[in-house]
Amino acid sequence: MKNVLTQSKDTLQLVTVLIILCIFAAFLSKGVFIQPVNLTNILVQNSILMIVALGQFLIILSKGIDLNAGNIVGFTSVAIVLTQGYGTGLSVGVTLIAALVIGAITGCLVHFVKLPAFVVTLAMSQIVYSITKVIGGGAAVYTGTDGTPISPVILEIYSVRMLEIPLPVLMSAIAVAVVALYLKTTTGHFVYAVGGNERTAAISGLPIARVKISVYLLSAALGCMAGLMFVARVGLGDPQAGDNLTLDSIAAVTVGGASLSGGVGKISGAVIGVLILGVLNNILNLLNVPPTIQPAIKGAIILLAVYLNSVKG
Amino acid sequence: MEKVFFDKAFGVLNKYSAIIALAIVVLYGALFVPNFLREANMTAILYQYSIIGFLALGQLLVILTGGIDLSQGSFVALTSVVAATIMVHAGAIPAALGALILCGGLGLVSGIIVAKTKIPAFVATLGMLGIGRGLAKFIANAKPIPIQNDLFKSLGRAELFGIPVCFLLWILVCILLFWFLKKRRLGRYIYAVGSSEESARLAGINIARTKMFVYMMASLFTAFGGLIWAARLGSASPIGGMNYEMESIAAVVVGGGSLNGGVGSVLGTAAGVLLFGVINSILNLSGISPFWQGAIKGIIILLAVAISQLQRRRNSKYK
Repeated sequence: MKNVLTQSKDTLQLVTVLIILCIFAAFLSKGVFIQPVNLTNILVQNSILMIVALGQFLIILSKGIDLNAGNIVGFTSVAIVLTQGYGTGLSVGVTLIAALVIGAITGCLVHFVKLPAFVVTLAMSQIVYSITKVIGGGAAVYTGTDGTPISPVILEIYSVRMLEIPLPVLMSAIAVAVVALYLKTTTGHFVYAVGGNERTAAISGLPIARVKISVYLLSAALGCMAGLMFVARVGLGDPQAGDNLTLDSIAAVTVGGASLSGGVGKISGAVIGVLILGVLNNILNLLNVPPTIQPAIKGAIILLAVYLNSVKG
Repeated sequence: MEKVFFDKAFGVLNKYSAIIALAIVVLYGALFVPNFLREANMTAILYQYSIIGFLALGQLLVILTGGIDLSQGSFVALTSVVAATIMVHAGAIPAALGALILCGGLGLVSGIIVAKTKIPAFVATLGMLGIGRGLAKFIANAKPIPIQNDLFKSLGRAELFGIPVCFLLWILVCILLFWFLKKRRLGRYIYAVGSSEESARLAGINIARTKMFVYMMASLFTAFGGLIWAARLGSASPIGGMNYEMESIAAVVVGGGSLNGGVGSVLGTAAGVLLFGVINSILNLSGISPFWQGAIKGIIILLAVAISQLQRRRNSKYK
């Protein structure tokens, strides 16, 4: 019971931080900030980070870390563009399978060979980046290998609205729903136990292999989704598409209260963590803070947020 | 008997795997790769990898205590920018000192955060990465700064008996660090803290001070690497050094270091640095697309960690 109470308090605290930031932003912008257009813009701008952060969240929850998150986005963006000649469905499908293979290899190395996730994903990120450059010729790609331009179906993702909601926001909402549902399945349910104490989980007979590998598979699939959205947003595939996403996603997840030692964190926290970073970016722009110093301020705020989180715990 | 022999052999192989791998790769390069032994090629490797070498020594110290330093790449950029900015007004030496002091100070801040709060090293230095990059961009106004000072540039260009001075300096620092970690009390404390913080605390070791020292030293080493980097390039860049921390982590890990702390050596790390340097050079000389370099690097990292993991599992099985 106490546990439930403290957990809901954590979420409350994060929501409070988010609301304070929003009020601050509203004053700064003389009300422009809270206009629905600006609010949906923040959601649209951060939908890719949201999707990547969800995958990162699952892996961190299982006591891992994914340094490959960004490079999977880069790889899938290039692969989707290069395979445009086969039609949109097949192109995305083939890319998804490739991403899942990467996820499966990572998961197997982490679980069966018992290598630390940090090192495995560091090595995998080098390998994936390298493969991306080889298939794409090292630079950004604009058309399929046979010269087929990027399908309008993909390019329209960022202009389509469904029920007045922009499609990217809807897609990130779907991703949130999928991860939330996964955590409710028999496998996903055990991620907390495996991340909290793998040994105890093993003695209790939990399906550790299934839990750990499924986490890496799911996050690779989310990476593929983010890659697709990158292509839609920018209109090209770029090996460096995810350069900032890896560390930004880790920052968002930790700001959201998840612990890098595994087993602690809530999906609502991860979502709010992404939103806090997004609103923060917006505020820095509203304040006319020169973009050059923004990384420094963001870094300091991440430290502060994680510090506050660690003190109360 | 046979088993004991194999275990021993395997132990030696594991302990010196990076050095053995380095020897094999150098031998292969010397025998089969044209131009590998040419002086120009050798010095090119030494110049380039003495920078990563300094970073790796700093990273080794941090990893030995069970931490990690992600801020290295951005500190390389920050050092170069700060040194170049000071150099406009003062000479090369104040510039170098100013950059070293600033980075050492920031490293000390990381150390204090890691030692005194519950923030994990990963997050603390991730925040520092952002702070370092932001400061570098802010000071340089997001533009590269040319460096005119010849004395400063000689740090990245001077040679002694045909060997780059910065490489000789790196070797000197390697030897000093080796001695420090083996013979000095604080050096032994670093291993103790990484092996088991609880036991170290019970033994009366000042853990906070050890950690602060380690992060400050890591940033000083990084800053030194950054100075060489700027001197070699003849210019400072706020976006330089991107992902250098990953290279230094890889070198430490391939050299037998464990991210759990307490395991790692100067010798292995140095071999790890040179291993990557030699392999890159061989790939370049053999006309293999540079795009493949990352993949090969990744596979080497995986192999190295798998071997040491296997060894650890064997050890725990027979004990």
